[in-house]
Amino acid sequence: MSRIVMRFTGVGGQGVLLAGEIFAAAKIKMGGYGVKTATYTSQVRGGPTVVDIQLDDKEIYYPYAIDGQIDFMLSVADKSYQLFKDGVAEGGIIVIDPNLVYPTDEDRKKWRIVEIPIITIAKEEVGNVITQSVVALAIANTFMNAIPEDVLIETMLSKVPKKVHEANLKAYELGKKYALEAMKKQGIEPRKND
Amino acid sequence: MAREVISSGNDLAAMAAVDSGCMFFGGYPITPSSEVMHTISDLLPKVGGACIQMEDEIGGICAAIGASMSGVRAMTATSGPGMSLKAENLGLAQMAEVPLVVVDVMRGGPSTGLPTRVSQGDVAQAKNPSHGDYKSITVCAGNLEECYTETVRAFNLADRFMQPVIVLLDETIGHMHGKAILPDVEEVKAGIKPRKTFDGPAEEYRPYGVAQDEPAVLNPMFKGYRYHFTGLHHDAMGFPTEEIETCRKLIDRLFRKVDEHRDELEYNEEYMLDDADILLVGYGSASLAIKEAIHRLREEGIKAGMFRPITIWPSPEERLYELGQKFDKILSVELNQGQYLEEIQRAMGRKDIQKLTKTNGRPFSPQDIIDKVKEVF
Repeated sequence: MSRIVMRFTGVGGQGVLLAGEIFAAAKIKMGGYGVKTATYTSQVRGGPTVVDIQLDDKEIYYPYAIDGQIDFMLSVADKSYQLFKDGVAEGGIIVIDPNLVYPTDEDRKKWRIVEIPIITIAKEEVGNVITQSVVALAIANTFMNAIPEDVLIETMLSKVPKKVHEANLKAYELGKKYALEAMKKQGIEPRKND
Repeated sequence: MAREVISSGNDLAAMAAVDSGCMFFGGYPITPSSEVMHTISDLLPKVGGACIQMEDEIGGICAAIGASMSGVRAMTATSGPGMSLKAENLGLAQMAEVPLVVVDVMRGGPSTGLPTRVSQGDVAQAKNPSHGDYKSITVCAGNLEECYTETVRAFNLADRFMQPVIVLLDETIGHMHGKAILPDVEEVKAGIKPRKTFDGPAEEYRPYGVAQDEPAVLNPMFKGYRYHFTGLHHDAMGFPTEEIETCRKLIDRLFRKVDEHRDELEYNEEYMLDDADILLVGYGSASLAIKEAIHRLREEGIKAGMFRPITIWPSPEERLYELGQKFDKILSVELNQGQYLEEIQRAMGRKDIQKLTKTNGRPFSPQDIIDKVKEVF
């Protein structure tokens, strides 16, 4: 597998860190390498947050995603989207929550922008806004085909309290469903990893 | 035997402390080191130890010094602003020869600086955090594994040399999350070298009356071996004195106990140096970008290699001198304005070392290093 580089952005307090840890742990469980780094500001809540995830079969030395080499970004806050979008490779996929992120027309030419109402799905369909990180996890994995689904779900369940297992499984299924619908609509194939 | 752990640098430092037999943590949370305290506050009670959040940074180190004097291994963790506050008591621990591990997860400074951003700005401070003359021992982790293994080593060094040992992490290493291959806990426990104690008759006990290249032998307090504890110049029993020769010998010994045993301290990594034409010198998280840059430079036919001191104080001055003789092209890479560069220049006896520095709270990217190498060589 060639290296997969993903970036999750939001604002502090939204819980974007967890999805990164789950991806890294799942890849490591499979015998590969996974690194997650997070950059945030000194604001406890509300400051722009970025989580970089790199997954590879070979050792990863440098822990941050390198601007211009990011394959996939997911964003649930406009100020973080604007700050960090330029790291995404031209033609890369950016999934945004259309209620919270406002890409320009130019952005839509440069990247394949996919609109999925992540927060609304978590809040209204799953019934718990905290599950947004698992909705995001499912969306990212559906596009990037990074980790076999059973391994990813098992890793995810090991990192959340038992009482919310069911809600998170539901969040995963919904994230996957919305991602597949969006991919079909926009003619995007899941990434092929050799 | 080794084991695979998925964790962050700060958590690994906390785990290493407990696996090394640390039984006490006194501290005050500060970004980006807070996870060390958070994790150890969970782990210590499970092994019968204690973690106390004190009223401030000063209280944190004082409590840890007190715990150490009772004979247990003790730790505190902080970041640059906390190091400044702890400085006075780091001096006390140097003077009274109290073993202690102090983890400093570096962030941007000076003052409160950039709380959530990476820096290597405490390197010069670690050499002399307090006033007065003494010889600092400071190690610097350059990857996740070393957040664990260097903390383990720091505890053994603290007990061997009877003084504080500083473990420098930085925001990048402390917060990055990934795979670490660690030695088994049994192996770590088997490697614990407890501090020396005096077992003879109590009336013959002279804690500071030791050979001129050896540390004090401090028995645990309240076990029948009495001595005086002070930051003042002191005699063999620890009582204050201004006697000329005693004062001279005390500071001389604080230096010689370290200087004459540098072989027990020196620890470096030499990465792809054998066939290299360009020498990059870096430490801590900067070395992660350097390694990536070396691979990419070599793809272009530029043979670079890295020398990375892991024990940064005392510096590996002899090895640096040899490398300064061997390499013509040398670039120092650090996330400050050149704090270690001065030491490299001194050790190498050269002023023509190129430097790449950054102090805006952002990490080096491999491209920064590649561009600099191409620009100056």
